[in-house]
Amino acid sequence: MGQHKVTFHPSDRHIFVDEGENLLQAAMEAGIHINASCGGNATCGKCKVKIAGGAVASPMHTELSEAEYADGYRLACLSTVTGDVDVEIPLESQVDKSVLALKGDRLAAPYLLSPKDIFQLVQGWDIDPTVFKRYVELAPPTLNDNVSDLTRLTHAVHKQHGINGISSDFRVIMKLSRLLRKADWKVTVTLVQTRKGYKLINVEPGDNRHQNYSIVVDIGTTTIFGQILNLNDCKVAACPDGTCDGATLFALAEASDYNPQISYGEDVITRIVYSQKPGGLKKMQETVVASINGVIDELLKMSRIDRSLVSHLVVAGNTTMTQLLLGIDPKYIREAPYVPTANLIPPVRAVHLGINVGDHVHVYLFPLVASYVGGDIVAGILGSGIFQREALTLYMDIGTNGEIVIGNKDWLASVSCSAGPAFEGAGIKFGMRATRGAIEEVSINPHTCEPMILTIGRAKPIGICGSGLIDAVAELLEAGIIDQKGKFHQNLPTKRVRKREDGYEYVLAYQNETRIQDDIVLTEIDIENLIRTKGSIYAGCKVLLDSVGLGFKDLEQIIIAGGFGRHLDLEKAIFIGLLPEIDARKFIFVGNGSLLGARLLSFSRELLKETERIALMMTNLELSNHAGFMDEFMAAMFLPHTDASAFPGVQERLRARREAA
Amino acid sequence: MPFAIPKTIYTGKIKEVVLGRGPKAITVGGETSYPFHLFEGEMPHPPRIALEVYDTPPDNWAEAALEPYRDVIGDPVAWAKKAAEVYGADLIALQLISTDPNGLNAPSDQATETAKKVAAAVEIPVIVNGSGSPDKDAELLRKVAEACDGMNLVISPVVEENYKQIGAGAIAYKHTVAANSPIDINLAKQLNILLGNLGVPDRQVIVDPTTGGLGYGIEYTYSVMERDRMAALTQQDERLQFPIICNMAKEVWKTKEAKAKTEDAPLLGDAARRGIIMEAMTATLLLLAGADVLVMRHPEAVRLVREMIKDFSA
Repeated sequence: MGQHKVTFHPSDRHIFVDEGENLLQAAMEAGIHINASCGGNATCGKCKVKIAGGAVASPMHTELSEAEYADGYRLACLSTVTGDVDVEIPLESQVDKSVLALKGDRLAAPYLLSPKDIFQLVQGWDIDPTVFKRYVELAPPTLNDNVSDLTRLTHAVHKQHGINGISSDFRVIMKLSRLLRKADWKVTVTLVQTRKGYKLINVEPGDNRHQNYSIVVDIGTTTIFGQILNLNDCKVAACPDGTCDGATLFALAEASDYNPQISYGEDVITRIVYSQKPGGLKKMQETVVASINGVIDELLKMSRIDRSLVSHLVVAGNTTMTQLLLGIDPKYIREAPYVPTANLIPPVRAVHLGINVGDHVHVYLFPLVASYVGGDIVAGILGSGIFQREALTLYMDIGTNGEIVIGNKDWLASVSCSAGPAFEGAGIKFGMRATRGAIEEVSINPHTCEPMILTIGRAKPIGICGSGLIDAVAELLEAGIIDQKGKFHQNLPTKRVRKREDGYEYVLAYQNETRIQDDIVLTEIDIENLIRTKGSIYAGCKVLLDSVGLGFKDLEQIIIAGGFGRHLDLEKAIFIGLLPEIDARKFIFVGNGSLLGARLLSFSRELLKETERIALMMTNLELSNHAGFMDEFMAAMFLPHTDASAFPGVQERLRARREAA
Repeated sequence: MPFAIPKTIYTGKIKEVVLGRGPKAITVGGETSYPFHLFEGEMPHPPRIALEVYDTPPDNWAEAALEPYRDVIGDPVAWAKKAAEVYGADLIALQLISTDPNGLNAPSDQATETAKKVAAAVEIPVIVNGSGSPDKDAELLRKVAEACDGMNLVISPVVEENYKQIGAGAIAYKHTVAANSPIDINLAKQLNILLGNLGVPDRQVIVDPTTGGLGYGIEYTYSVMERDRMAALTQQDERLQFPIICNMAKEVWKTKEAKAKTEDAPLLGDAARRGIIMEAMTATLLLLAGADVLVMRHPEAVRLVREMIKDFSA
């Protein structure tokens, strides 16, 4: 696919995009504001631009008169780039050149990060799944050759595939004799590698090798994500329209749901407290399993894969979520000195936990480090490849609990801070997960305060996800609509800032532009929650770095994981002080870090040992009794930060904006 | 080799802020060292003391505190004059407690009128304190700012919730704001940044870090003020280089130790003496932490503190 140059006038900013890129998306990436309030759904008609020259494919629309169309006017959201193109931004969308000049140059550094996958991040691993299938043809028994059916089978596997020392699951033996005869002695065996050797966990009639699937699940405090993987070619299998490779993985290859335990408490502490009530632990275990089953059902439905073909399940979760899933009393996680029950948990039969898959399926759980640093973070370190690199790396998993790790292949240190679920859309009035209809990118015109919003799937907006929140708050701040404390200025020349019973709010989309029966707004309380979340994460990083005698400038790489959306706009995340102001090229975004590691572990059994090494190597620093954390937290509860010298670029832009105003 | 006393190296300076107007205007701040470290730097303007004036008769003051003002209570103008002329206050701290929404909830127009009269009656600078209710203060202090145009009052307290409204009034009518935050150095700095962004000139800002009374959390105030001065003077933290005001009298005199009658707490000794010493001790600690202006109540406590300042400055 060719790259095309898209130039925007009158600012003369340009960007290179792939053939077929949407013009509105291209503008957003170039940092060019075009009014758009329907999410790119071609209903608001505000994103009118003039094509001064070059090639776009763009249909007629009721918002355009024939004369306008003939004159070169098009709706940006309906236009796809097919060659180099010159675009004129209409007056009502224009932003001063001086203001634009303050924004980061998106040609020089990649600011809009898309998630990288294991194929790009981790080196030197072979596709060699822990759970694999082999086809065998057996010679039927005779009076002379009358060894037992099971011995016949294991001998055949040994002879035909060189696999030795196989132990068998009792359930396989139960059904073996009839199955072998019915299948005319031609069967597919499913084997799993364990610490003690190979275990035969399933036998299917005929050659069924091409159908070998694994499900990976991330149990977050707020959100549960699942993906179904095709273990034969190691791809995510649940795309409704074909397979997704590593690069487009994030598209729709997964199913997710809010963790239903939320109704018993939003954070791990309240859930541990609930689990101490009579019947509480059982209740918590059942709810999370019900939700996992829901996600699995959806995955199977989306991928049209039969339940019996799933042979492996990998689960990563924080320590509390892992213990609650297993029904292990989490009481002592909460009490000083904060000790989990076990670090390494052996594979558990899925059906024993109530998970609705074949009874041969075992659940592999990522090992835990400490009470507040769990398998999810171990998975992230594995999947992002930190464990094999020299470069000093900071890994940030931005979830309900912000988990932060620093180190490289030789050493790892971690902290965990209670960040809150804002980036996952919880605790935000119109917050939602990063699914279809979620506002994922926002730009705001500083003169008119009019927004430009893009939604996932370019559908009419339903709510806003984490990446949209980061954008919105950064843009509100830069446009001078909120102050550095996140409070709205009053008496602005716009109807979009208004006072309601919950205080001030900004209207991102009016009801008639949305798919819900309401205006989509961002309230002062939402912004407060976001500031608290980002403050906690930044403070956690700062304390962790301080305690190992390092600063942000010493880092060679920062890897960001989190479920805020399909992309992360680095410039905006830095602008609000979620991320430190350092060279943009040092950042890597990986999306959901737990799933990343879980996929890798499903695909490659060699990494089992690495996983355990990571868990044992990591030193955890407890923040709950750390004297400096609260202070750093208060300092970070400001946009971008109380210590202006840590964000000189942002400071300069804010100063210039104030002077321009 | 002769012995050299180790000295702290200072890189910052507290901004100088002028309060009031005319011949009796005073300047505070300007320090280039920790409080009274005159062997290391300068303290060009001595700490100043304001005496309290209530706009309505206080209902729960200790006998000892009431005694000096018995003849002027209920008449804020006469009270202010007495504090200035008889007790030699450097400033008047007018407490508009009548406006407290949880108390009398007097209309802000009425309190504004009182403020105007008091400010006109004395030549020394006047601090006008609202009740501490952010909403009511936003309305009240804006009106006071307007009514006392150009008199360079200290408008207090200005908090995160109302800095925009009150700050705008201070800019327009040229008053100094006391930026009040709840005993936290970061919050103090944040409010200073916000005021700066709003356009309040640095020469019109002093910081009120929130004060606790002796035995009632003063160590928190002390730590925050100490860190404030360390950041301002040794770490070039420009947004903390402001003079500090401590609105302390009301904190001291509401404690059991300052209020209890002699007969109710014989073990604690003479009530009057006790309250005065509590106030003087609190003042001393705050001065050592870096206070530039103290809001006090009892003339005898003021006398003791002035003596202390004189001794330390000699």
